[in-house]
Amino acid sequence: MTATATSSTNPAAVIQVRDLVKKYDTKLALNGVSFDVRAGEILGLLGPNGAGKSTSMKILTTYVSATSGQVTVDGKDLASDAVAIRAMLGYLPESTPLYNDMVVYDYLTYVGEMRGFDGATCKKRIAEVAATVGIRDVIGMAIGTLSKGYKQRVGLAQALLHNPKILILDEPTSGLDPNQIVEIRNLIRDLGKNHTVILSSHNLAEVRQICDRIVIIHRGAVVADGTVDELEGKMANSHRLVVALTPAAGTQADAVRSGLAGLPGVRSAVLSHHSTLPVAADTFEIEATTDIRPEIAKWAQTAGHGLVELRRKSMDLESIFQQLTHDA
Amino acid sequence: MKPIWTLARREMAATFDSPIAYIAGVVFLVATGLLFFFGLGGSDDYFTAREATLRPLFDYAPWVLAVILPAVTMRLLAEEKKSGTLELLVTMPVTDLQIVLGKLLGAVGFLVVALLLTLVFPALVLSIGHPDLGAIAGGYIGLLLVGTAFLSLGVMTSTWTHNQIVAFIVGLLLCAFFWTGTDALLKTLFEQPPPALQLLNFQTQFSDFARGVLDLRSVLYFVSVTAVAVVASTYSLQSRHWK
Repeated sequence: MTATATSSTNPAAVIQVRDLVKKYDTKLALNGVSFDVRAGEILGLLGPNGAGKSTSMKILTTYVSATSGQVTVDGKDLASDAVAIRAMLGYLPESTPLYNDMVVYDYLTYVGEMRGFDGATCKKRIAEVAATVGIRDVIGMAIGTLSKGYKQRVGLAQALLHNPKILILDEPTSGLDPNQIVEIRNLIRDLGKNHTVILSSHNLAEVRQICDRIVIIHRGAVVADGTVDELEGKMANSHRLVVALTPAAGTQADAVRSGLAGLPGVRSAVLSHHSTLPVAADTFEIEATTDIRPEIAKWAQTAGHGLVELRRKSMDLESIFQQLTHDA
Repeated sequence: MKPIWTLARREMAATFDSPIAYIAGVVFLVATGLLFFFGLGGSDDYFTAREATLRPLFDYAPWVLAVILPAVTMRLLAEEKKSGTLELLVTMPVTDLQIVLGKLLGAVGFLVVALLLTLVFPALVLSIGHPDLGAIAGGYIGLLLVGTAFLSLGVMTSTWTHNQIVAFIVGLLLCAFFWTGTDALLKTLFEQPPPALQLLNFQTQFSDFARGVLDLRSVLYFVSVTAVAVVASTYSLQSRHWK
């Protein structure tokens, strides 16, 4: 299933993960995970809760060790060169743990000093990073008093302070409101221009928007690895379409459904929604072997139905999983 | 070295930002002051002894330190574990040993401040008599050593749990055990406790300092206990790798 990860070396890869296994007591969290991260790309680690995304990130950031397997970062071995690798990484753990009693500026100064900056460099970098992530307004406030969105920005600021080669962000938008999510996503996309970024998410739309490439983890194993287009290409044997129609006068919704189900290539047709505003329409979800949108349009016109909407339903994570783990 | 200093400074600032430092400081000063002047009803207090000496201070201060120092160290790692900040701390380019040393050093900073505040007692004694300055210096060195050993035990218990109260209680019990409890244990275990084991007692080791005798073996003993606790704390932090 994986396209790139099984090759043993990849010169373009800044991070190589090979056969990672992690056991917590008796629970197998990772069961032979392999993937590469290329320099300058934004890689999305995707999977449901408990799939092994966070565990993979905790291993990459040297927080915990793998039970077996190998990780190299920029040619250095994670097991033997942990401190050198940490200097290359910026990390934002899940739920953004910060010292709530510290003032933002003092906290960033502390992080800078821990990373070996002298006073002047530290000051300069804090000013730069504060501008990048947009926290200049709150730099003198205690972290505990900030909104979740600002805390997230402070978390990003500490990860960026030493201008790391690689940024590892564990669910950077979880728990934010929709406006904050858009802001943080834009910020990450900008950061991706100058950094290699790995981010985890259980939101496919988010990953599709931000990431160059996706690795899907399920039950501790990589079940897919590729660009969004590649992954969707793999799903090409199944097409989910959404059709909304204003039935021709005197036609019942069920008759329309039967008509749709009778079209060549349709596996199933389900009435999913009936709306009255702004126009009366019945919405159907169709699963077909090929993309039969032209046929549907033609059929609707012939039958006298008013076509309100006709689109491919974007694959949600769930349906991708159903497919990817179908025979697993 | 730099991360150790940075951490120590942050910890000291955080300690003095929290009420714990002031409560612990006030308890220390009031308790040592009361014990110094009035003792425990015997004839060893400052007024009854009628002697220009700080012996009462050095006799009682370690008891008070054994109680308040675990309260200062309890949050050092337990809080980081609970809030998740430990994950960011240990993924910075520092070693686990540096983290433990930085935390300990920050707590030693508190101890030094607390001990400096007690200088009011020697100042008092000096103003009315001619105490043995060597004995006073020895006593303070002893307090610093035994206090640091208490702190290292407290740091160790703080690495064991994410619950500060648990860290405090276990730390307090360990400090009390090493200060005075080893004797009781030995007496129940042996009819004639081996002399080597009797030396494990902090009180035995400290008594020389209180008399103004600077015994290198006792210095080495407290330094060793601190070192063992620091190493144990480091291993405890590292245990996340094989859990």
